[in-house]
Amino acid sequence: MASYTVNRLLQGVLVLFLISLVTFFLIDLAPGGPSSLVNMESTAAEREARLKQYGLDRPAPVRYVSWLLGAVRGDLGTSINQGLPVARLLAQRMGVTLQLATYALLLTTLFGVVLGVVAAMHHNRWPDHAVSILSTIGMSVPNFWLGIVAIILFAVTLGWLPAAGSGTVGRGFDLLDRLRHAVLPAGVLAFSLMPNVVRVTRSALLEVLASDFVRTARAKGLRQRGIVWKHTFKNALVPVISILGLVTTVLLSGSVVIESVFGWAGLGRLAIDAASGRDYPVILGVTVLVGALTVLVNLLVDLLYAVADPRIRYG
Amino acid sequence: MSKHRFPRPFLTLLLAAALALFAAASAQDHDPNAVINLATNADPTMNPWAPGAVIESNLINTILFEQLTRYSPTDLSPSPALAERWEASEDALAWTFYLRDDVLWSDGDPFDADDVAFTFNDVVKNPELGAQSANQFAAVERVEVVDQYTVRFVLNTPFSALPYYLASYAGILPAHVLSDAENPLTVASFNKQQPVSTGPYKVAEYVSGSHVRMVPNENYYGSAPKLAGIVFRIIPDTNTQVAQLLAGQLDLVGRLNPTALAGVERNPALDVMRQSQNIFYFVALNMDDERFQDVRVRQALLTAIDRQALIDALVQGYGQVATGPIAPLLAALHNPDVEQHAYDPERAKALLAEAGWTPGADGVLQKDGQPFVIDMPTASYAELTPASLLIQQFWADVGVKAELTTIEWNAYIQQVILERDYEASVAWWSMPPTPDVTPYVSCSAAHTGNNIPNYCNEELDELLAAGRRALTAEEQQDAYYALQELLAVELPYLYLWHPDIISVKRNTLQGMPEINAATAFQHSEEWYVAR
Amino acid sequence: MADLAATPPVTAPVARRRRSRFWRKVRRQPLGIAALVGIVLLALMVTVGPELYPHSPSRTAPLHTLKPPTTEHWLGTDELGRDVFARILAGGRVSLAVGLVSMLVGLLIGSLAGAAAGYFGGLTESVIMRLVDVFMAIPAFFLILVIVTSFGNHPLMVILTVGFSFWPQMARPVYAEFKKFRQSEFVEASQALGGGHLRVMLKHIFPQVLPQAIVLATLGVGWAILSEAGLSYLGLGIQPPLASWGNMLQNAQAYLWLNPMLAIYPGVFIAVTVLLFNLLGNSLRDVLDPRG
Repeated sequence: MASYTVNRLLQGVLVLFLISLVTFFLIDLAPGGPSSLVNMESTAAEREARLKQYGLDRPAPVRYVSWLLGAVRGDLGTSINQGLPVARLLAQRMGVTLQLATYALLLTTLFGVVLGVVAAMHHNRWPDHAVSILSTIGMSVPNFWLGIVAIILFAVTLGWLPAAGSGTVGRGFDLLDRLRHAVLPAGVLAFSLMPNVVRVTRSALLEVLASDFVRTARAKGLRQRGIVWKHTFKNALVPVISILGLVTTVLLSGSVVIESVFGWAGLGRLAIDAASGRDYPVILGVTVLVGALTVLVNLLVDLLYAVADPRIRYG
Repeated sequence: MSKHRFPRPFLTLLLAAALALFAAASAQDHDPNAVINLATNADPTMNPWAPGAVIESNLINTILFEQLTRYSPTDLSPSPALAERWEASEDALAWTFYLRDDVLWSDGDPFDADDVAFTFNDVVKNPELGAQSANQFAAVERVEVVDQYTVRFVLNTPFSALPYYLASYAGILPAHVLSDAENPLTVASFNKQQPVSTGPYKVAEYVSGSHVRMVPNENYYGSAPKLAGIVFRIIPDTNTQVAQLLAGQLDLVGRLNPTALAGVERNPALDVMRQSQNIFYFVALNMDDERFQDVRVRQALLTAIDRQALIDALVQGYGQVATGPIAPLLAALHNPDVEQHAYDPERAKALLAEAGWTPGADGVLQKDGQPFVIDMPTASYAELTPASLLIQQFWADVGVKAELTTIEWNAYIQQVILERDYEASVAWWSMPPTPDVTPYVSCSAAHTGNNIPNYCNEELDELLAAGRRALTAEEQQDAYYALQELLAVELPYLYLWHPDIISVKRNTLQGMPEINAATAFQHSEEWYVAR
Repeated sequence: MADLAATPPVTAPVARRRRSRFWRKVRRQPLGIAALVGIVLLALMVTVGPELYPHSPSRTAPLHTLKPPTTEHWLGTDELGRDVFARILAGGRVSLAVGLVSMLVGLLIGSLAGAAAGYFGGLTESVIMRLVDVFMAIPAFFLILVIVTSFGNHPLMVILTVGFSFWPQMARPVYAEFKKFRQSEFVEASQALGGGHLRVMLKHIFPQVLPQAIVLATLGVGWAILSEAGLSYLGLGIQPPLASWGNMLQNAQAYLWLNPMLAIYPGVFIAVTVLLFNLLGNSLRDVLDPRG
């Protein structure tokens, strides 16, 4: 298992290298430049001076290699537009994104698994159909629009929940306050991601329920509920873990739009601001970080397989 | 310059009255423990000259870094700040500023002429640093230290607006802290952590991505600040800012979108402030295009636009029709009596006919077989796209077809502003409150500087120069009145509107000059929270 | 059903029995049928609708902005005085076209890549599947963001990027099927009989993959419409003066306080359209997918 892990990590590093390469040369093709020099107010002379300061007068391959050499040593460079080390920006923004992702993942798992189990146990009866329709709606409604509607309803009209932000300004850490702010964005994310978990949980359960050993257990007279919880669920765990892995990677990056709707200053916002402001080191930093998180989550998922299902072994 | 000095008895009286008012205010109304919360949209850079320190940093830097002059709360004329008074030489090529001798930096070091000389000679005028808005001081050759509290600005060309520009985001930097730095504009421990400043409040804490907390500067030379602290919250999204304002978590939000006001106006605890700024939105017509060199065409294209309708639809009426680049805000120099080009589609058609454009196929005008089609790039930024869409319709109504393409903001600046690759485009200029529009219309700025339409007219250049030479109020008015008349006829830009800047504040926050945001923040020592 | 075209020609009665089983399956999918009808109606609405509805989607009227619905303007007017219903029709044309075409792009690239990897194996397989890994590790939305920023947001570019970001998802199942069937006996047999690569792929493997591809493609349309809407919402998708449901939503957000309905209409249309495609996709999976 150790050598497998090392092997996967090496592959991951190669993937990250390719991601950085692709991102760098793609964004380098973009017209315009860092917003601190390409703006309405700056004159040609000012722009030239700043171009030189930022080292942007060097050819692209040279800039890429110098970025790469820095990155290998753990130095992701300095944000052109914000003047702060990229690593610091990433750490700061990742906290916000992880916070939202954690809440959303908890909600997605809870509702997804529960509804999936309900649907499977009432296969082809009305609860199954109801869950299926609910999931299809969840897959279909644009989550940012759902966010806007939720803001109109719960914040503007009813005034029950805050419209935006990840916490009340001026207040220190206050869990209740944080949760109040997280309810809408996390709920909206969970609603749109839950269908994946429901579908996989349901079909995995159905498959296991139809399998020989469950039928045997039933024949031995175990009660239905006991069967599900003792035998079935453990066996259905593998596909559920895999889909949760996928959901996690989506959450780490895919909450870009939801972060915008609810004004959370996370990685997604950082990526959008950096792309529109042509903050090259930040763009590279965010894509590589998100890529790394994705690689790690995928690896973790595969390792969890082995734990959940003793039949799976990695050599 | 003696005109900046009031007669002594009058000054004393005014001071006494002001003191009495303040005393009354502090005795009854103001809460000495109040901490106010303001918002900014991104991590600020606490150095007024740092490249890229723009909208997110300006107001914070205005509180921190005092300037030689600041705007008067009544008419925006330059009034004393770090400089007590100033005068120009006979030939208008040298300006002497007499500095206060009682100013200390927040770290206790005394402020003197060396700081001013350092700020301009070593920072602003150092071309390698690319200091923000350094181009506004192109006329300044160097700053000489006359004595410890006197500096002389030596100019290469007359520049009567110098005291105005010195009041516009031109904070003085501490030489004793930054002069050893390799690049005084990128010192992170200063810009992002603990700047040394002279203003009424100083930075106590900077948490990137979260907030900047300011406390009173005990070394401040003026009247003691009346707040226990000012906190700038970093909130990127304006909708969030409004929501937090409504929820009572913010005390002031500046630059609000007029469409968001519907939520705010209903709240009795909030005051909406409508401030004017020296900003004008315009359509630039690229003069490299032969069709636009005919002044009748430019006049026709402006006459075809109902500008009041634009203001009502785009900014909910929060703006004024512009008749030239100089806003009515500059009351003393704004000439209201110029050519208006009021909305009149028939007149527009007649002017176009005079210029040789006759009706062609599909209702599009044509000349020599060529249809009147204009390539009009615009950006997905602020009101630019909707304004372009409305103008496209107004022009279509008189037979001119504009082909609109919307490009991303950054790419737009590259294409339209820097490369001038466009035929017509809507944009805006935000200028310091001075009548000197040289950077936007002079021949020297065509094709390179901010003269986006590439307009060039020697008569105009002469009037601009006359304005920069004019030192007395009468001379200035003469020069700028004539300039505005010519600009209104010639239309180097099709002037659209001067927007109002809308700020909303909690009504307990008082003592803030309301004329514009810069002035309000230059007088932060007067802010207080009523009990 | 599973081996419809791969097996040797079947006799007539067997074929008839299969066909009737197929229709029986179809009849058990009332939601799917309803969705298909809905999609046809929607397609008719956005293609014929603009010709029948008397208002232009782009005609601005600054003096008649933000008006409530009337018999004249069915859904009222927007912030520039344009007719909202006319914009829904025109925007729907764009959104549907983007959804369909970008799905086709993704399907094409994904199937070709997946087919090549699965069929040829070896180096081709390693390179392509490694690429799939890379693109799966860059979250789709990030990729689209960077590409659209770099190459501008011409409608064609938006279509290509949304489609392009879909290809790894498409490549995986196609690859799996091809790999499986390449090793099966009848493929080997037909190769032994001198069938060329292309012939073997088209005649024997492609039909196996087709049902799954149809399901993925149907669901993919919904996904592409959502992606375009998300991009437009961030100001990176279809640009004005062209209307799309996504950029209508983006415009509407500034007017949440003044006229929240402007944000409701395009959202409802996106949601319903995507819902129809998802319902159809789910039903197709039940009918076509042998394992479903």
